Amino acid sequence: MDNTPSSDPFSLAGKRILVTGASSGIGRQTAIACAEMGAQLLITARNTERLAGTLHALAGEGHQSIAADLTRAEDLAALAAQAEPLHGIVHAAGISKLVPVRMAKEAHWQELFAHNTFAPMLLTKELLAKRKVQAGGSIVFISAVASHVGPLASSAYSASKGALLGAMRSLGLEVIKQSIRVNCIAPGYVRTPMLDGLATGGLNTDDYAGLAPLGMGEPQDVAHAAIYYLADASRWVTRNYFIVDGGLTVPMDIYA
Amino acid sequence: MNAPLNATRQAFSLQGKTILVTGASSGLGRQIAISSARRGARIVATGRDADRLQATFDALPGEGHQQILAEQTSAADRAALAKAVPALDGLVHCAGKQMLSPIRLLSEGLMTQMFEINFLAPVMLTQQLFQAKKITPGGSLIFMLSTSAHIGTPAVGPYSGMKSGLLGIIRCLAMEQGKHRIRVNGISPSVVPTPMWGEDMQSAPLQAQRARHPLGLGTPEDVANAAIYLLADASRWVTGTTLVMDGGAVL
Repeated sequence: MDNTPSSDPFSLAGKRILVTGASSGIGRQTAIACAEMGAQLLITARNTERLAGTLHALAGEGHQSIAADLTRAEDLAALAAQAEPLHGIVHAAGISKLVPVRMAKEAHWQELFAHNTFAPMLLTKELLAKRKVQAGGSIVFISAVASHVGPLASSAYSASKGALLGAMRSLGLEVIKQSIRVNCIAPGYVRTPMLDGLATGGLNTDDYAGLAPLGMGEPQDVAHAAIYYLADASRWVTRNYFIVDGGLTVPMDIYA
Repeated sequence: MNAPLNATRQAFSLQGKTILVTGASSGLGRQIAISSARRGARIVATGRDADRLQATFDALPGEGHQQILAEQTSAADRAALAKAVPALDGLVHCAGKQMLSPIRLLSEGLMTQMFEINFLAPVMLTQQLFQAKKITPGGSLIFMLSTSAHIGTPAVGPYSGMKSGLLGIIRCLAMEQGKHRIRVNGISPSVVPTPMWGEDMQSAPLQAQRARHPLGLGTPEDVANAAIYLLADASRWVTGTTLVMDGGAVL
């Protein structure tokens, strides 16, 4: 790691950043892009093989990977205990499943909230309790425009992502005295293995993405937004819900 | 920037981009011009005060910059500016003015001024630039707004209304220009002490604002960094939205 603080406000040199869900999609690309901006990464995911693949793809030295299932309390505790003090966290781990409400059992709601809402919040709690987030640090949650759009058969997914908005705003107030910033990025349709999974399940994702003036996004589009929120360039920005969706929601009355 | 150039660093560079900045003679516009030039952009700086515009121009690092004197509320000046500029990869509308009046006491003269400076000028300059085919595909347009575009504050109505109005322009223009991959976004800062807030940095209004900003007041550099992100290819899939920056301001 290059420890010299950079005069470039977008550089992540000298920053240690934890990325969850780093084995694929947005998490993987965020880890790769952060390393290219000079950060030292701590990456985590469930799948050890794919996690090793991401670790191998990181530019620079001194990165670390810890396999963890973030829905298990003991894994959260172990991850937080092993982590060196962090300057940034990107909560990119998440799941999506299409189930209409009339068919959604409690287990479905439990599963979506366990992965998308409780895991990032409880990991943040463990890290704050163990004083693993440095003063001036930046916490980024990856939400989704589904939080406001509510696509078909996505009640549990949309609710679990929408919950991050309120939680992020409250958390942002709690840690502001330590100058820790907390923000949400809300992506639209991004070409990831998660989206491919939905396409296999019968959703025509290309048609949906085609509604956006700029079409489908790529993982690096979200990764670059995360870099802005992690870097000192955004030192005055907190409790922000930032939409990165190629304009998908621009013709929708999602705030009306 | 001595670090090796890779795809990610390239995405945050402004090398090879030509960017027009209005209101470049002072405050946010001046800093956006300087910071963008430092990141490799060629700047076309415009403003209406020749001496101060020259001072900004002299402060621009790098080569190939231009300055064009123009009064943004003059249709003739806007047309001449649109004709004079080279092809643009970026446009930042920073020219603006704040005047306070409760609606009960509002005069048509004050409201007309707020409309002409804060709304009509940026909208019609944008129209002229598109008409003259000066915005290149993949370009990025930024309208400088204010948190007052989103929140209610007594006596800020005339300014707030015009900044809110630009939100509508941003959304519709984003839909119109998506096919050219031209992006249109806003930046909404709360309080950044600039000449618009007066010369006295310890004035009572600024002190009151400091008290409600847990991360302190913003700096022109903070706003310039947001503009750099929105101008750079890093944000190529961001359109029709607004980056709110307020230092965690609470009521």
